[in-house]
Amino acid sequence: MADEVMELTDEMKAAIGKSGEPTTYEVTSLGIRTFCRAVGYEDGIYFDDEEAKKAGHKSIIAPPGYLGMPVWNPNGPARRADFFKSPFTRNLNGGTAVEPLEHVYAGDVLEAVTTLTSVEILPSKAYGQLMVRKTETAYKRQSDGKVVAKTRGTSLSY
Amino acid sequence: MAISAQTFDGVSEGQEFTLEEATDSQRLVIWAAASGDFYQIHYDDKFASNNKLPDIIVHGALKGMWVGKILDQIAGRDGWVKEWDVAYRAMDIAREPITVFAKVTGKREENGEKLVDFEVGTRKADGSVTTPGTGTVRLP
Repeated sequence: MADEVMELTDEMKAAIGKSGEPTTYEVTSLGIRTFCRAVGYEDGIYFDDEEAKKAGHKSIIAPPGYLGMPVWNPNGPARRADFFKSPFTRNLNGGTAVEPLEHVYAGDVLEAVTTLTSVEILPSKAYGQLMVRKTETAYKRQSDGKVVAKTRGTSLSY
Repeated sequence: MAISAQTFDGVSEGQEFTLEEATDSQRLVIWAAASGDFYQIHYDDKFASNNKLPDIIVHGALKGMWVGKILDQIAGRDGWVKEWDVAYRAMDIAREPITVFAKVTGKREENGEKLVDFEVGTRKADGSVTTPGTGTVRLP
């Protein structure tokens, strides 16, 4: 928790409505299967190629909400630049909304663009002050240009 | 045990579906690998303690994806999860079971789609809801 009372800066206010650089997400069969294992999916269309093909799919499909992993490159640019400099150092995930629009397949490559939709600094009984940032991310499949899903996130900083 | 796929005519307002989920440390580590969220409060006891937490805690996003899973099971292969939205209102300490629920709050037809709305969330053993939200599925 920051010691002094923080208010929204001009930089923070100006960042609302801005979008970040696109981030590339790979959807791999290993990634889908690991997600299924963690969340506990049991339907074979999500991890068994034959089962998926019998159901009319070209390969295993990603369960709703799985949109791959950002391509990791320690020598590349930072994965996600912050929209502004935050005085708070600790972060919590405040919430998630998912809107699946198309099936996502193993082998898909998605381009995600995140837009900052709001930022507030609110009083908090637990932390003194809490910064609430809301974002919306659109995931577009590179092969056909379709937006396959949208997500909305709330991050809390204190 | 998975929930069987439902139909629009087969569900009624007030009906609740539930899944029990284990929150052992191994599962949280698998989720860390699946999601890329390697924040140590989810698997490192000492790190959690140093951050004034009573124990390691369940990832909020994992709870959110359990809600996605219950809706997906209700929808089945012939339905579609239209959307869900959850807020992480309180922490869930690891190693305690969580109940994921989806309760029918309404049925409607819109643009030719048969839609069912749900109150969704995750519930602790004491009945408190730590991850409240809403969801909508299209059912055949």
